[in-house]
Amino acid sequence: MVFSTPYFLFLYLCVVLLVYYITPLKLRNLALLILNLIFYGWGEPVYILIMFASIGIDYTHGMLVTRCKNRGNLRGAKAAVASSVIFNLALMFFFKYWDFIAGNVNALAGFELMKVLGHPLPIGISFYTFQTMSYTIDVYRGDARTQKNIITFGTFVTLFPQLIAGPIIKYKDLDEQLEHREHTVDKFASGVQRFTVGLAKKVLLANAIGQLWDVYKATPTGELTTLGAWLGVLAFSLQLYFDFSGYSDMAIGLGRMLGFEFLENFNYPYLSRSATEFWRRWHISLGSWFREYLYFPLGGSRVKAPRMIFNLLVVWAATGIWHGASWNFLIWGLYYFVLLVVEKTFLLKRMEKLPAWVGHVYALFLIMVGWAIFAVEDFGQLGGYLKAMFGFGAGFVDGDFLYYFVNYLPILAIACVASTPLAKNLWKKLPEKVWKAALPVVLVLGLVLATAYLVDGTYNPFLYFRF
Amino acid sequence: MSKKYSIFITVLFCVFIFGFCGWLIWDMAHPRDFSEQENRWLAQMPELKVGRLEFPGLMNGTNGGNFFSGEFMEDFEDFVTDQFPLRDQWIHLKAQSERLLGKKENNGVYFGRDGQTLFAFFDPPAADDLQKRMGYVDSLAGNVDVPVYFSLVPDKSRVWADRLPANAPNVDDGSMNEAAKALAGENVNYIDLYGALSGDDAFYRTDHHWTTMGAYQGFTALSFGLGRSGALIDYEPQLRSDTFYGTTWSSCGAGWVKPDSIYTVVPEGGLNGQVTVTRYPEGKPVDGSLYDLSRLEVKDKYSMFLGGNQPLCILRNPEGTGRLLVVRDSYSDSLAPFLALQFEEVHLWDLRYNNMSLKQYVEDNGIDQVLVLYSASNFSSDNNLFKLGL
Repeated sequence: MVFSTPYFLFLYLCVVLLVYYITPLKLRNLALLILNLIFYGWGEPVYILIMFASIGIDYTHGMLVTRCKNRGNLRGAKAAVASSVIFNLALMFFFKYWDFIAGNVNALAGFELMKVLGHPLPIGISFYTFQTMSYTIDVYRGDARTQKNIITFGTFVTLFPQLIAGPIIKYKDLDEQLEHREHTVDKFASGVQRFTVGLAKKVLLANAIGQLWDVYKATPTGELTTLGAWLGVLAFSLQLYFDFSGYSDMAIGLGRMLGFEFLENFNYPYLSRSATEFWRRWHISLGSWFREYLYFPLGGSRVKAPRMIFNLLVVWAATGIWHGASWNFLIWGLYYFVLLVVEKTFLLKRMEKLPAWVGHVYALFLIMVGWAIFAVEDFGQLGGYLKAMFGFGAGFVDGDFLYYFVNYLPILAIACVASTPLAKNLWKKLPEKVWKAALPVVLVLGLVLATAYLVDGTYNPFLYFRF
Repeated sequence: MSKKYSIFITVLFCVFIFGFCGWLIWDMAHPRDFSEQENRWLAQMPELKVGRLEFPGLMNGTNGGNFFSGEFMEDFEDFVTDQFPLRDQWIHLKAQSERLLGKKENNGVYFGRDGQTLFAFFDPPAADDLQKRMGYVDSLAGNVDVPVYFSLVPDKSRVWADRLPANAPNVDDGSMNEAAKALAGENVNYIDLYGALSGDDAFYRTDHHWTTMGAYQGFTALSFGLGRSGALIDYEPQLRSDTFYGTTWSSCGAGWVKPDSIYTVVPEGGLNGQVTVTRYPEGKPVDGSLYDLSRLEVKDKYSMFLGGNQPLCILRNPEGTGRLLVVRDSYSDSLAPFLALQFEEVHLWDLRYNNMSLKQYVEDNGIDQVLVLYSASNFSSDNNLFKLGL
């Protein structure tokens, strides 16, 4: 199930709130677990089995790690962690990468060496396998307590607000809240606001702008003009940001309605002045996951330069391929590896002295080129698209560009402003009387418009199937 | 935020979602069958068939049901969206807010500059596709012994190009007609209609069809092309409906656009009541009329011309001369009353519903001339043109 649909908003969410709040405090995790499973099983009921397997196996491994540690059997504990990591990675590998590898192996071999399975990708698998992996590792490291109650643990694994598109929550950040969380009306009201903002970002901005990207994605690369190619990438950059951060906002908002407090996932990424800064602001929970569970264990930056570069290479290759089983994602990851190494070794220091706008232009340029690599999966097309961006396309500008530019100008302008904290800062400056009067109007307007776009529903893609 | 204010915000949100939740459940219990506005059947509650779960291929082994495959849920989602309370109003609201945002299109429809004309996107066929389609016309001309004429009704976006948003990409720029003309074999007589169509009355603003006036302009050019006089007709146009919302309007929800009017020019039964219409809706002849006024009560009011789509319809006029067969699409229905004034017989043949040999039919019925007449967009998309060569 996805959030931005009429049946989620007006049926499922109503049932969730009703059931959750009439259930006595002690049984709320159980109620939530059942509701989570309905949410997950909605599209692919059979895949609920993956959830059961995940809960059972990670729960057992957590217990195993603790027991080994209590008995002083560190090797056993390590083995248990390794086994849990292997299970989770194998799960992800099987569903997400098997067909990709099989396709490439078969193409190399010239005959069918590996069978292409064609299973649909379980929604959100990249997010929840990472979440559950963090549990056993944290238990082993002593950063998290062992969860002895399988229902509570199951609630963590399946928690529907962030199950399918993040933020990726580490067990230790939720540990306390799973057992004791406050349900206050303040929290609920702030959740309502956050959810509505997220819904509006996804439905009113991301979907609207996504249609522009679809036009350019479908344009044969031989007909792309330079300005057209950049307009397309601009549209994709804005679509992805509002889609993804809108989803995170909705998750955070829904979490608050249920008494949870999740960590932030975005911090105005397009304000960055370098690729390094971009990754501190974009998909924060993923960056932090890789840092904590991959980069630091490899030695992080506290090693000699060549080893550090190797560590970065591993992390960025992994980050790239995490986004989807396709070569362009790997290239996109390696692209950031190169940028980050260059910035880390010398560029950032030199840029410090330059005026701020140089940094903004530099970063936005690189981010957009990166999104082109990210967005165009077909290799032949990617080459053509990049060529067009750099002036080797079918001319500089054409009538189509003029039409689409004029047609989308207002929404693009709104989106550009909305990707800065400007509106938020202005809102904060409003006198209490004014914002108190304005807030309900803005909320209802957001909900009404989002509902109108959802009911019309001709265009509502879900971008994270590949993740 | 004070506690009181938080309660207010919480209640506001809950009233909104629970209010529509209750209304939605009521509507789902009393579902609408048909949407007048969208001119389509709405999704109904799907029937749940659990079926057996089997594991030959682990995940895709489902038999006899729509549950494990997720189909039930998909159908249910469509049901919810289709039966959502105030659906028509939400669609209008969306179209309106798109317009306020400066958008010049919604759901595949351009908003004309005058604010009142709607254009469905037009996508011409690729060069090789068009060549294939023209090949079918050629094969008809090679098949039959009577002259074959071919003509395309230009898209509204070509005739009314001045009303389009600037630089609109998905429009008819005439290149398709030019290419079709060039591709037509020497046995095919190409009749150009672009030059004949003009003025504010040529098309409906809310529909893709030509109006009766447009059809008359087309008739003049076709009549000359078929070797006739293109006779001037001076009947008083008769207003049949002033509440016609066409299919283009339906797909974009432009609530601010005024309805079209439908006129007829040729009186029922022709000049002296001598024109008779025989319809073949299901193979057997049925008495018909030029105008089926009962169709004015439904959404698809254009179908009042000859009663809408049908496999075969024959118009007979004992005062006319010659027998014409028109390979038709719906544009021919409002044209046919004019043709019936000149020809003894006009046969409207729809390829979609006919699998018998066209050549045979032409021979059996003593047809003198065959006209293949399509709108540019139908000719680009119809999958039955290969039957021209049967």
